[in-house]
Amino acid sequence: MIHVQELSHSFKIGKKGKEKQVPVLKELSFSIEKGEIVSIVGRSGSGKSTLLHIMAGFLKPDTGTIQVDNVHTSAFNEAESAQFRLTHFGFIFQNFQLMPGLTAFENIELPLKLKGENKHIRKKKVKDLLQHVGLTDVQNHYPNELSGGQQQRVSIARALVTDPPIIFADEPTGSLDSETEQDILLLIQSLNKTRGITFVIITHDDTVAETANRIYRMHDGELTERGASHAI
Amino acid sequence: MQFKDQLDFVRQHIKKNKLRVFMTILAATMGTAFLIVLASVGFGIHDTMRSEILDNRMVNQIEVYAEKMDQAEVEELKKRDHIKAVVYRQSVSLQQKTGLDEFIGENGLIVTDFKEEKKVGFELKEGRLPENAGEIVVGSDFAESLFMEASTESEQEPVTYKGSLVGKQVTYKMGLYEEPEMFPEETIFTIVGIAKEPAKDWMQDYNMYADAAIIPTLNPIFEGHVDDENSQLLYGNVNVYADKLENVTTVSKALKDEGYSVYSIADQLEQMDVFFLAFKAGLVFVGTIAILIASIGIFNTMTMAVTERTREIGVMKALGASPKLIQRLFLMESAWIGIIGTLIAVVISYGVSFIANLVLPIIVTAALGEEEFGDLSVTFSIIPWQLVIIASAISLTVAMISGWRPARKATKIDVIQALRQEL
Repeated sequence: MIHVQELSHSFKIGKKGKEKQVPVLKELSFSIEKGEIVSIVGRSGSGKSTLLHIMAGFLKPDTGTIQVDNVHTSAFNEAESAQFRLTHFGFIFQNFQLMPGLTAFENIELPLKLKGENKHIRKKKVKDLLQHVGLTDVQNHYPNELSGGQQQRVSIARALVTDPPIIFADEPTGSLDSETEQDILLLIQSLNKTRGITFVIITHDDTVAETANRIYRMHDGELTERGASHAI
Repeated sequence: MQFKDQLDFVRQHIKKNKLRVFMTILAATMGTAFLIVLASVGFGIHDTMRSEILDNRMVNQIEVYAEKMDQAEVEELKKRDHIKAVVYRQSVSLQQKTGLDEFIGENGLIVTDFKEEKKVGFELKEGRLPENAGEIVVGSDFAESLFMEASTESEQEPVTYKGSLVGKQVTYKMGLYEEPEMFPEETIFTIVGIAKEPAKDWMQDYNMYADAAIIPTLNPIFEGHVDDENSQLLYGNVNVYADKLENVTTVSKALKDEGYSVYSIADQLEQMDVFFLAFKAGLVFVGTIAILIASIGIFNTMTMAVTERTREIGVMKALGASPKLIQRLFLMESAWIGIIGTLIAVVISYGVSFIANLVLPIIVTAALGEEEFGDLSVTFSIIPWQLVIIASAISLTVAMISGWRPARKATKIDVIQALRQEL
């Protein structure tokens, strides 16, 4: 489903003229199969978030290619990348990234609006998802009126609403207590099973990483699959 | 994203910053209203001057002068394209005296072609047109120019003729200006009609109008007393009337090309229109500066909107909003400010224009006095639809340009940086 080939990326740091190249990702090659939950675990600064940003199309790699469903997404321009995200990817962020001026319902509805879906279809889909994530009662609440767990559920519903085959979750439980964390992880597992959605979870937490079918460990820009003895 | 959803999105954001948006709209309104009102003064003055010119003259009339003008030349002029009528009026070059019963006057005789005169609006208020050489039509104020012979010498108010004119006989004598005595020959005319009053209240018509058939009667009298070969009894002026206003220039140009000296009100209007076009363009330019000042407000508002919504823009881009959509949403917001500002400005401008036309004449009359200003019909401000279109186009264009840079800035927001922003 996702094939990453010899992916490298580096950041420039320092003042203009005296810039230094700091490699963040070093010739990574790996694949993620359809219906998998894959965790990429690593310390802060290991490059795991950069990897997610490149896979999601927020950032262009220096070298290497990414194929999603046999489409070279790394060759996309910004507009093509946005269009592809809208139809293929869902996102769950650590800070939920909900629109503060929109209600829970409207936040979930937003990707459908961007897709140009008509109001009738939007309403039905959002209602179904609200029920699925158990937020029907608070659908008209604004994000600041919801708990962290509820906000993350809204965020998950928003990621699901366009029926994407892949969901990227960046530290999905980073802002939650352990009890709520468990709820969210169970929800992710359940969605994976019932809907066959591929999840790519970026985390620094081994407990969260354990939810996955496969775990990749990221260290200094290199990736090793748990159990493998060398970088991949 | 559907257009309705885009509108909803823009509306929601405007609602969030009501005061700031209101102040920006106010600035846009003031700028646009200033432009419209300022330019409306140009339109008002132009219209007043046009009316002044058009009120006094017939618009499709072309005065034609030629070294040699005679009936044959006039007949040739009639054959041209786009000609409605050619009126060849000839006046007597001598001193003239008229008499009706015991009343006397010094009315001029005009020899003309009544068929052509009728085509350009010569009408009678009483009687009929002349049918032979001895019949004439008199001007509407003819009676007022006839004074009782004895009364003119006394110090009392002269007595003018009050009776009916149609059917009366008028004696007509000619004479040289430099000699006190008139020629002894007396011609008698019968009044068969009275011309309608001139269109303008201030004009008075004391003339007598006769057909060209009268010339053979008058010429021998003239020739019997004047030996000078260079002088002639009648001198004429020719007015050519185009069939339509838009053909005046064509006819006028063709006559000029053939060596005639021509003058038409259309030429004068054309020159004046060119001057006022430049004048109005100048006023619009000055007004545009006010809109440009207002545009700084729009630019600031939109720049702040983009800065405040950086994280939201980042989330939208992350979810799949295209850069074009982001740009469109911000341009729609600045266009909305421009549209509302323009609409309010148009309404206010019409109000200001109405009040100006109501109040300013009262103030000016009070300042200058009734005599100086009373007769003049001045329109201080006119807002034609063209001005509304021009002002709206300028206002909206400036609003869009002001919003352009912030909108571009929004499209360039880095998703990763935006998502890192604190709530």
